[in-house]
Amino acid sequence: MMLHYILMALSALLSISVVYLAIVERDLIKAAIFSAVQSALYAFLYYLLMAPDIFLTYIPVGVGLYTALILILIKKTERYEGE
Amino acid sequence: MGNTLQVVIIISLTLMVIGLAMVLAMGGFGFTVPPSSVRSLATIFLNTTFNLDTKYRYVSAMSPEAVTAIVWDYRGLDTLFETSVMFIAIVGALAISRGASEKLLKGFSKTRGGMSLIVKTITRIIIVMIASVGLSITLHGHLTPGGGFQGGATIAVAPMLLIITFSIYLFSKMITVSKAVTLRSIGLIGIALSAFIVLIIAILHGDLAYIFQNQPKLYSHYGLPSYAEVMVLGGTLLLFNTFETLAVAFGFTALFILFILPEEVVKDIIKGEE
Repeated sequence: MMLHYILMALSALLSISVVYLAIVERDLIKAAIFSAVQSALYAFLYYLLMAPDIFLTYIPVGVGLYTALILILIKKTERYEGE
Repeated sequence: MGNTLQVVIIISLTLMVIGLAMVLAMGGFGFTVPPSSVRSLATIFLNTTFNLDTKYRYVSAMSPEAVTAIVWDYRGLDTLFETSVMFIAIVGALAISRGASEKLLKGFSKTRGGMSLIVKTITRIIIVMIASVGLSITLHGHLTPGGGFQGGATIAVAPMLLIITFSIYLFSKMITVSKAVTLRSIGLIGIALSAFIVLIIAILHGDLAYIFQNQPKLYSHYGLPSYAEVMVLGGTLLLFNTFETLAVAFGFTALFILFILPEEVVKDIIKGEE
Protein backbone atom coordinates (compact mmCIF):
# COMPACT_ATOMS: atom_id res chain seq x y z
CA MET A 1 0.00 0.00 0.00
CA MET A 2 2.86 2.37 0.88
CA LEU A 3 4.52 1.53 -2.47
CA HIS A 4 1.39 2.79 -4.25
CA TYR A 5 1.71 6.18 -2.62
CA ILE A 6 5.45 6.42 -3.29
CA LEU A 7 4.93 5.59 -6.99
CA MET A 8 2.05 8.07 -7.16
CA ALA A 9 4.21 10.82 -5.66
CA LEU A 10 7.07 10.03 -8.04
CA SER A 11 4.92 10.05 -11.19
CA ALA A 12 3.11 13.21 -10.05
CA LEU A 13 6.41 15.04 -9.45
CA LEU A 14 7.83 13.86 -12.79
CA SER A 15 4.66 14.93 -14.62
CA ILE A 16 4.90 18.41 -13.06
CA SER A 17 8.43 18.92 -14.35
CA VAL A 18 7.41 17.62 -17.81
CA VAL A 19 4.45 20.04 -17.84
CA TYR A 20 6.84 22.91 -17.05
CA LEU A 21 9.13 21.84 -19.93
CA ALA A 22 6.15 21.55 -22.31
CA ILE A 23 5.00 25.09 -21.48
CA VAL A 24 8.45 26.68 -21.74
CA GLU A 25 9.64 24.80 -24.87
CA ARG A 26 9.84 26.89 -28.08
CA ASP A 27 10.05 23.93 -30.48
CA LEU A 28 6.41 22.81 -30.72
CA ILE A 29 7.24 19.23 -31.75
CA LYS A 30 9.31 18.79 -28.58
CA ALA A 31 6.46 20.37 -26.60
CA ALA A 32 3.99 17.84 -28.09
CA ILE A 33 6.29 14.98 -27.10
CA PHE A 34 6.62 16.37 -23.55
CA SER A 35 2.83 16.53 -23.45
CA ALA A 36 2.65 12.86 -24.50
CA VAL A 37 5.07 11.93 -21.68
CA GLN A 38 2.87 13.86 -19.25
CA SER A 39 -0.19 11.94 -20.54
CA ALA A 40 1.58 8.62 -19.96
CA LEU A 41 2.48 9.63 -16.39
CA TYR A 42 -1.09 10.77 -15.70
CA ALA A 43 -2.41 7.47 -17.08
CA PHE A 44 -0.11 5.67 -14.65
CA LEU A 45 -1.51 7.85 -11.83
CA TYR A 46 -5.08 6.91 -12.81
CA TYR A 47 -4.09 3.25 -12.75
CA LEU A 48 -2.64 3.61 -9.25
CA LEU A 49 -5.77 5.46 -8.12
CA MET A 50 -7.71 2.31 -9.11
CA ALA A 51 -9.48 3.74 -12.19
CA PRO A 52 -8.44 1.20 -14.87
CA ASP A 53 -11.21 2.28 -17.27
CA ILE A 54 -9.84 5.82 -17.40
CA PHE A 55 -6.33 4.36 -17.78
CA LEU A 56 -7.40 2.38 -20.85
CA THR A 57 -9.00 5.48 -22.41
CA TYR A 58 -6.13 7.80 -21.51
CA ILE A 59 -3.36 5.74 -23.12
CA PRO A 60 -4.70 5.65 -26.73
CA VAL A 61 -6.32 9.10 -26.64
CA GLY A 62 -3.72 11.04 -24.66
CA VAL A 63 -0.56 9.42 -26.01
CA GLY A 64 -1.61 8.23 -29.48
CA LEU A 65 -4.46 10.16 -31.06
CA TYR A 66 -4.01 13.56 -29.39
CA THR A 67 -0.25 13.70 -30.05
CA ALA A 68 -0.78 12.68 -33.69
CA LEU A 69 -3.41 15.39 -34.13
CA ILE A 70 -1.10 18.06 -32.68
CA LEU A 71 1.79 16.86 -34.90
CA ILE A 72 -0.43 17.07 -38.02
CA LEU A 73 -1.44 20.61 -37.00
CA ILE A 74 2.23 21.61 -36.47
CA LYS A 75 3.14 20.21 -39.89
CA LYS A 76 0.41 22.33 -41.49
CA THR A 77 1.41 25.52 -39.66
CA GLU A 78 4.76 26.48 -38.06
CA ARG A 79 7.22 24.47 -36.05
CA TYR A 80 8.76 27.23 -33.93
CA GLU A 81 6.85 29.53 -31.61
CA GLY A 82 7.59 33.23 -32.18
CA GLU A 83 8.32 35.82 -29.50
CA MET B 1 9.60 34.93 -22.54
CA GLY B 2 9.40 37.43 -19.70
CA ASN B 3 10.57 36.62 -16.19
CA THR B 4 7.15 37.41 -14.70
CA LEU B 5 5.47 34.82 -16.92
CA GLN B 6 7.96 32.16 -15.84
CA VAL B 7 7.35 33.03 -12.16
CA VAL B 8 3.57 32.79 -12.69
CA ILE B 9 3.96 29.36 -14.33
CA ILE B 10 6.15 28.07 -11.49
CA ILE B 11 3.81 29.42 -8.77
CA SER B 12 0.67 27.97 -10.37
CA LEU B 13 2.34 24.58 -10.88
CA THR B 14 3.48 24.58 -7.22
CA LEU B 15 -0.04 25.39 -6.03
CA MET B 16 -1.43 22.54 -8.15
CA VAL B 17 1.16 20.12 -6.71
CA ILE B 18 0.32 21.14 -3.13
CA GLY B 19 -3.43 20.81 -3.78
CA LEU B 20 -3.16 17.36 -5.38
CA ALA B 21 -0.70 16.16 -2.74
CA MET B 22 -3.04 17.23 0.08
CA VAL B 23 -5.93 15.22 -1.33
CA LEU B 24 -3.73 12.13 -1.86
CA ALA B 25 -2.07 12.44 1.56
CA MET B 26 -5.43 12.71 3.32
CA GLY B 27 -6.43 9.44 1.64
CA GLY B 28 -3.13 7.90 2.72
CA PHE B 29 -3.58 8.92 6.37
CA GLY B 30 -6.96 7.24 6.55
CA PHE B 31 -9.37 10.13 5.97
CA THR B 32 -11.68 8.90 3.23
CA VAL B 33 -11.90 11.70 0.70
CA PRO B 34 -15.53 11.12 -0.29
CA PRO B 35 -17.47 10.98 2.99
CA SER B 36 -18.47 7.48 4.03
CA SER B 37 -22.18 8.28 3.55
CA VAL B 38 -21.55 8.32 -0.21
CA ARG B 39 -20.12 4.81 -0.12
CA SER B 40 -23.52 3.18 0.48
CA LEU B 41 -24.29 3.97 -3.16
CA ALA B 42 -21.21 1.97 -4.20
CA THR B 43 -22.43 -0.91 -2.02
CA ILE B 44 -25.76 -0.90 -3.87
CA PHE B 45 -24.06 -0.99 -7.27
CA LEU B 46 -21.66 -3.74 -6.23
CA ASN B 47 -24.56 -5.79 -4.87
CA THR B 48 -26.62 -5.48 -8.02
CA THR B 49 -24.04 -5.73 -10.84
CA PHE B 50 -23.48 -9.49 -10.63
CA ASN B 51 -25.66 -11.34 -8.19
CA LEU B 52 -27.08 -14.82 -8.70
CA ASP B 53 -29.10 -14.59 -5.49
CA THR B 54 -32.84 -14.92 -6.06
CA LYS B 55 -33.47 -11.78 -4.00
CA TYR B 56 -31.52 -9.72 -6.55
CA ARG B 57 -32.55 -11.71 -9.66
CA TYR B 58 -34.74 -8.96 -11.15
CA VAL B 59 -32.42 -6.09 -10.18
CA SER B 60 -29.02 -7.47 -11.14
CA ALA B 61 -27.32 -6.49 -14.40
CA MET B 62 -25.48 -9.85 -14.47
CA SER B 63 -22.14 -8.43 -15.60
CA PRO B 64 -19.03 -8.78 -13.40
CA GLU B 65 -17.68 -5.40 -14.55
CA ALA B 66 -19.47 -2.64 -12.65
CA VAL B 67 -18.37 0.24 -14.91
CA THR B 68 -19.58 -1.37 -18.15
CA ALA B 69 -22.83 -2.36 -16.45
CA ILE B 70 -23.40 1.25 -15.34
CA VAL B 71 -22.39 2.68 -18.74
CA TRP B 72 -24.57 0.45 -20.92
CA ASP B 73 -27.25 -0.89 -18.57
CA TYR B 74 -28.07 1.44 -15.68
CA ARG B 75 -27.30 4.60 -17.71
CA GLY B 76 -27.70 3.32 -21.26
CA LEU B 77 -29.43 6.44 -22.60
CA ASP B 78 -26.56 8.70 -21.41
CA THR B 79 -24.06 6.65 -23.38
CA LEU B 80 -26.34 6.59 -26.43
CA PHE B 81 -26.42 10.38 -26.50
CA GLU B 82 -22.65 10.59 -25.94
CA THR B 83 -22.24 8.42 -29.04
CA SER B 84 -24.62 10.68 -30.96
CA VAL B 85 -22.60 13.77 -29.96
CA MET B 86 -19.50 12.22 -31.54
CA PHE B 87 -21.61 11.24 -34.57
CA ILE B 88 -22.69 14.87 -35.05
CA ALA B 89 -19.08 16.10 -34.74
CA ILE B 90 -17.97 13.69 -37.48
CA VAL B 91 -20.93 14.69 -39.67
CA GLY B 92 -19.71 18.29 -39.39
CA ALA B 93 -16.17 17.37 -40.48
CA LEU B 94 -17.54 15.33 -43.40
CA ALA B 95 -19.81 18.18 -44.50
CA ILE B 96 -16.94 20.71 -44.60
CA SER B 97 -14.63 18.54 -46.71
CA ARG B 98 -17.17 16.73 -48.85
CA GLY B 99 -15.72 15.09 -51.93
CA ALA B 100 -12.12 15.97 -51.02
CA SER B 101 -10.83 12.42 -50.65
CA GLU B 102 -12.30 11.27 -53.98
CA LYS B 103 -10.68 14.24 -55.74
CA LEU B 104 -7.34 13.38 -54.12
CA LEU B 105 -7.47 9.80 -55.37
CA LYS B 106 -8.24 10.87 -58.95
CA GLY B 107 -5.11 13.04 -59.18
CA PHE B 108 -2.52 10.40 -58.23
CA SER B 109 -2.41 7.09 -60.02
CA LYS B 110 0.84 5.68 -58.62
CA THR B 111 1.66 5.47 -54.92
CA ARG B 112 4.27 7.78 -53.51
CA GLY B 113 5.62 8.98 -50.19
CA GLY B 114 5.77 7.02 -46.98
CA MET B 115 8.64 6.33 -44.61
CA SER B 116 11.63 3.97 -44.89
CA LEU B 117 11.45 0.18 -45.10
CA ILE B 118 12.40 -0.28 -41.42
CA VAL B 119 9.54 1.89 -40.20
CA LYS B 120 7.09 0.17 -42.56
CA THR B 121 8.07 -3.33 -41.40
CA ILE B 122 7.85 -2.40 -37.73
CA THR B 123 4.45 -0.79 -38.31
CA ARG B 124 3.22 -3.97 -40.01
CA ILE B 125 4.11 -5.96 -36.89
CA ILE B 126 2.82 -3.38 -34.42
CA ILE B 127 -0.62 -2.82 -35.95
CA VAL B 128 -1.45 -6.52 -35.45
CA MET B 129 -0.58 -6.15 -31.77
CA ILE B 130 -2.59 -2.94 -31.40
CA ALA B 131 -5.63 -4.45 -33.10
CA SER B 132 -5.55 -7.60 -30.96
CA VAL B 133 -5.19 -5.60 -27.73
CA GLY B 134 -8.09 -3.38 -28.79
CA LEU B 135 -10.26 -6.38 -29.64
CA SER B 136 -9.49 -8.06 -26.32
CA ILE B 137 -10.37 -4.84 -24.44
CA THR B 138 -13.67 -4.76 -26.32
CA LEU B 139 -14.69 -8.40 -26.16
CA HIS B 140 -13.74 -8.68 -22.47
CA GLY B 141 -15.45 -5.36 -21.73
CA HIS B 142 -18.13 -6.99 -19.59
CA LEU B 143 -15.56 -9.03 -17.61
CA THR B 144 -12.53 -6.79 -17.09
CA PRO B 145 -11.98 -3.01 -17.19
CA GLY B 146 -12.49 -1.66 -20.67
CA GLY B 147 -15.35 -1.51 -23.12
CA GLY B 148 -16.51 -0.12 -26.42
CA PHE B 149 -14.92 3.32 -26.39
CA GLN B 150 -11.61 2.16 -24.93
CA GLY B 151 -11.27 -0.67 -27.45
CA GLY B 152 -12.34 1.54 -30.34
CA ALA B 153 -9.86 4.27 -29.44
CA THR B 154 -7.08 1.68 -29.17
CA ILE B 155 -7.92 0.21 -32.58
CA ALA B 156 -8.07 3.73 -34.07
CA VAL B 157 -4.34 4.14 -33.37
CA ALA B 158 -3.58 1.44 -36.00
CA PRO B 159 -5.05 3.29 -39.05
CA MET B 160 -3.38 6.48 -37.82
CA LEU B 161 0.04 4.76 -37.82
CA LEU B 162 -0.74 3.29 -41.26
CA ILE B 163 -1.62 6.71 -42.69
CA ILE B 164 1.57 8.29 -41.37
CA THR B 165 4.02 5.51 -42.33
CA PHE B 166 2.49 4.33 -45.63
CA SER B 167 1.17 7.75 -46.79
CA ILE B 168 -2.46 8.68 -47.38
CA TYR B 169 -2.32 7.60 -51.05
CA LEU B 170 -1.61 3.97 -50.24
CA PHE B 171 -4.01 3.95 -47.29
CA SER B 172 -6.84 5.31 -49.43
CA LYS B 173 -6.62 2.16 -51.57
CA MET B 174 -7.55 0.10 -48.49
CA ILE B 175 -10.04 2.33 -46.69
CA THR B 176 -11.66 5.43 -48.15
CA VAL B 177 -13.73 7.93 -46.21
CA SER B 178 -16.98 6.52 -47.59
CA LYS B 179 -16.00 2.98 -46.58
CA ALA B 180 -15.10 4.12 -43.06
CA VAL B 181 -18.35 6.05 -42.74
CA THR B 182 -20.33 3.01 -43.95
CA LEU B 183 -18.70 0.78 -41.31
CA ARG B 184 -19.33 3.46 -38.70
CA SER B 185 -23.01 3.61 -39.70
CA ILE B 186 -23.23 -0.17 -39.36
CA GLY B 187 -21.96 0.24 -35.80
CA LEU B 188 -24.52 2.96 -35.03
CA ILE B 189 -27.38 0.90 -36.49
CA GLY B 190 -26.18 -2.01 -34.36
CA ILE B 191 -26.26 0.16 -31.22
CA ALA B 192 -29.79 1.32 -32.06
CA LEU B 193 -30.95 -2.26 -32.69
CA SER B 194 -29.31 -3.52 -29.48
CA ALA B 195 -31.30 -0.94 -27.53
CA PHE B 196 -34.53 -2.44 -28.90
CA ILE B 197 -33.57 -6.11 -29.21
CA VAL B 198 -35.27 -7.29 -26.01
CA LEU B 199 -38.40 -5.33 -26.96
CA ILE B 200 -38.36 -7.01 -30.41
CA ILE B 201 -38.01 -10.46 -28.81
CA ALA B 202 -40.88 -9.69 -26.44
CA ILE B 203 -43.13 -8.46 -29.26
CA LEU B 204 -42.43 -11.67 -31.21
CA HIS B 205 -43.70 -13.54 -28.13
CA GLY B 206 -46.75 -11.28 -28.00
CA ASP B 207 -45.67 -9.31 -24.94
CA LEU B 208 -43.99 -6.00 -24.06
CA ALA B 209 -40.59 -5.08 -22.62
CA TYR B 210 -38.62 -1.96 -21.73
CA ILE B 211 -36.27 -0.08 -24.06
CA PHE B 212 -32.60 -0.68 -23.07
CA GLN B 213 -33.67 -3.74 -21.13
CA ASN B 214 -30.91 -6.26 -20.60
CA GLN B 215 -31.91 -8.88 -18.05
CA PRO B 216 -35.42 -10.06 -17.10
CA LYS B 217 -37.22 -7.52 -14.92
CA LEU B 218 -40.14 -7.95 -12.55
CA TYR B 219 -42.85 -7.00 -15.04
CA SER B 220 -41.13 -8.22 -18.19
CA HIS B 221 -39.59 -11.67 -18.15
CA TYR B 222 -37.55 -11.32 -21.32
CA GLY B 223 -33.82 -10.80 -21.66
CA LEU B 224 -30.69 -11.94 -23.41
CA PRO B 225 -28.77 -14.86 -21.88
CA SER B 226 -26.29 -13.61 -19.31
CA TYR B 227 -24.13 -16.72 -19.43
CA ALA B 228 -23.80 -19.84 -21.60
CA GLU B 229 -22.24 -22.89 -19.91
CA VAL B 230 -18.89 -21.54 -18.72
CA MET B 231 -18.84 -18.15 -20.49
CA VAL B 232 -20.29 -14.99 -19.02
CA LEU B 233 -21.94 -13.11 -21.90
CA GLY B 234 -23.42 -10.12 -20.10
CA GLY B 235 -26.59 -9.98 -22.23
CA THR B 236 -26.76 -6.85 -24.39
CA LEU B 237 -23.48 -5.45 -22.99
CA LEU B 238 -21.39 -7.57 -25.38
CA LEU B 239 -23.45 -6.38 -28.37
CA PHE B 240 -23.22 -2.73 -27.30
CA ASN B 241 -19.45 -2.97 -26.77
CA THR B 242 -18.85 -4.59 -30.17
CA PHE B 243 -20.90 -2.06 -32.14
CA GLU B 244 -19.50 0.89 -30.18
CA THR B 245 -16.01 -0.27 -31.12
CA LEU B 246 -16.94 -0.30 -34.82
CA ALA B 247 -18.48 3.16 -34.56
CA VAL B 248 -15.57 4.74 -32.62
CA ALA B 249 -12.69 3.10 -34.53
CA PHE B 250 -14.00 3.92 -38.01
CA GLY B 251 -15.25 7.36 -36.94
CA PHE B 252 -11.70 8.24 -35.88
CA THR B 253 -10.34 6.69 -39.10
CA ALA B 254 -12.59 8.90 -41.25
CA LEU B 255 -11.54 11.96 -39.23
CA PHE B 256 -7.84 11.18 -39.61
CA ILE B 257 -8.14 10.74 -43.38
CA LEU B 258 -9.84 14.14 -43.57
CA PHE B 259 -7.28 15.83 -41.30
CA ILE B 260 -4.27 14.60 -43.21
CA LEU B 261 -5.51 15.57 -46.71
CA PRO B 262 -3.18 18.04 -48.47
CA GLU B 263 -4.30 21.62 -47.96
CA GLU B 264 -4.41 22.67 -51.61
CA VAL B 265 -7.01 19.96 -52.29
CA VAL B 266 -9.18 20.89 -49.31
CA LYS B 267 -8.94 24.64 -49.98
CA ASP B 268 -10.47 24.22 -53.44
CA ILE B 269 -13.28 22.15 -51.98
CA ILE B 270 -14.10 24.65 -49.23
CA LYS B 271 -14.02 27.59 -51.66
CA GLY B 272 -16.53 25.84 -53.91
CA GLU B 273 -16.88 26.09 -57.68
CA GLU B 274 -18.58 29.29 -58.72
